[in-house]
Amino acid sequence: MDLERLSPYLPWAGLAVALLVPPLSSGSLYVLTTATIAVVFMIYASAWNFLAASGQGSLGHAAFFGLGAYASALTASNFGLPPVLTVLLGGLFAAGIGLLIGLTCVRLKEWFLAMVTFGFAIIIQTLMVSQFAGISGGWDGTAAPALVPSTVPFAPWVQYYLILAVLVGVLLAFRHLLAGRIGLAFAAIRENEVEARASGIDPVRYKLLAFCISACVAGIAGALEIHQFGYVTPEVFGTDISFWPIIYSISGGLGTLAGPIVGTLAVTLLWEGLRGLELTYARFVLIGLLLVLVVIFLPNGLVSLPRRLREWRRGRGGARE
Amino acid sequence: MTLDPGTLLQILFWGLYAGCIYILLATGVNLIFGVMKTVNFAHGELLMIGAYVTWSLFVLTGVNPYLLLVATVPVLLALGVAVERLAFRPVLGSNKLNEIFLSIGLIYLFQNGAALLWGDDYQSLRSPFEAISVPIADFRLPLDYLIIIGVTVAVLVGLQLLLRRTRLGLALRATSQNRKAAMLSGIDVERMDMLAFGLGAALAGAAGTLWAVSGQVFDPYMGSVPAIKAFAIVILGGLGSIPGAILGGLFYGLAESTATYTLGGAWKDAISFVLLIIVLVIRPTGLFGERGE
Repeated sequence: MDLERLSPYLPWAGLAVALLVPPLSSGSLYVLTTATIAVVFMIYASAWNFLAASGQGSLGHAAFFGLGAYASALTASNFGLPPVLTVLLGGLFAAGIGLLIGLTCVRLKEWFLAMVTFGFAIIIQTLMVSQFAGISGGWDGTAAPALVPSTVPFAPWVQYYLILAVLVGVLLAFRHLLAGRIGLAFAAIRENEVEARASGIDPVRYKLLAFCISACVAGIAGALEIHQFGYVTPEVFGTDISFWPIIYSISGGLGTLAGPIVGTLAVTLLWEGLRGLELTYARFVLIGLLLVLVVIFLPNGLVSLPRRLREWRRGRGGARE
Repeated sequence: MTLDPGTLLQILFWGLYAGCIYILLATGVNLIFGVMKTVNFAHGELLMIGAYVTWSLFVLTGVNPYLLLVATVPVLLALGVAVERLAFRPVLGSNKLNEIFLSIGLIYLFQNGAALLWGDDYQSLRSPFEAISVPIADFRLPLDYLIIIGVTVAVLVGLQLLLRRTRLGLALRATSQNRKAAMLSGIDVERMDMLAFGLGAALAGAAGTLWAVSGQVFDPYMGSVPAIKAFAIVILGGLGSIPGAILGGLFYGLAESTATYTLGGAWKDAISFVLLIIVLVIRPTGLFGERGE
């Protein structure tokens, strides 16, 4: 099978399948909800992956996901603004905090950046349930109005298509950014920061830009998710939420546009499949094992699988000759 | 709020005690980094496993939990060696981000493996000396605090003796100073990696025992907060430096107890991050670090 010749059509095929999900879910709200959340996480994982493209690995993206969620939920319920608008406010708020954190982080190398971001989400959670409990509602959280009011006919469908449209928009924007000067600058910084600097690229500016855009999109994803759930609690800052986009992006393919999409799809299918086996903690153990094995044996993720298989086949054929 | 000498002494002892567990954890992180040039982000989970191992042994045997330190440390040493050999070795040197992501996978494995093995309820242990306290100046210090400080000092002295007085320690230090030169002098650096990771895990195990004995609750997901504090100490003291971890830990413990005393208990966990940001803005290589990694 020649996958390379087909590859220009794969995004369209993917989109077609995605568009067909609501009619094919045959009225099962569970399937549609799972699909909606998967799309939200595709947006979120793409945001994380965009930051990784600039050579920065964040271990605390839940901070931006959660801050976007809280900002949107609080503005929507306190000022009566429609969630469709406040989602954007959530994104902007997350971008602002991202800028502040980015200012301290962009000069740091991998280890320190990972340590700081790792702490950041958990510290925000601690603050949310103590210092800011008055605004945030503490551990109980706060209610969030529905993204699409239930009075709208086919509300779950509309909601799904709306979120899917956001994903397509985000992917097109990322593709545009990564194909241009910015993408080149990211690649240069990722490969060798000193050399990038020598060629006239200002790493601090580009890394900050990556931080802001990534935080903004993560904030939008967080807002979309909690308006779909109807409430937000400090659990949204948990390490789980920080690690999911990493797992999705790595298992799909780090630094590629398709990676987070393929990864989210594959891991979600695996996750839902394991639900059928009534496993609880073992599911997480398997996910952890999957991540370890992917990092060791398939560092470029599932999207590199066709190429790896071909190489392997060729290698075996060569050995036989 | 009055700052008479008695209160200051109390804050000092609180800080020393609070710092101890994090010093052990941060020393482990730095020992591993020194030799392997990698950071184990699942280090807090090793502390958690240490706490559970001590707890299980206590439930099984009923022995004084302080003595169980002797049994917990080898278990964690073996676990550390296995983790290095099976997980870190294959990706070591490939890409820093890969090594970070590997730790994330390990966090999932350890947390939920522990939940499968021991359940996900909060557990705690009672020290046999719970009721005893020692009068110092005009307040009473729980005996446990003094024992914990003593045990930490003993463990650190033991580590220093191992590193400074034995051939194995010499080989470890050589590997951490210059890996290639160490290799050329006939040191099996991969064995040193295993040993360093094992020792780091053993220190985390000792920290876990102390955590449990000091009466703090633990569950399979408790590892991330102590890990963050250890990272704050590592950044304070400079990555890879063992004296830095000890000084940074003392400084951190004092900062935490001062913040708790003046600002209130809610700041206990947040202070680590505030401190971290301040240090990073002023001096990105850490207070005692000579060069940044």
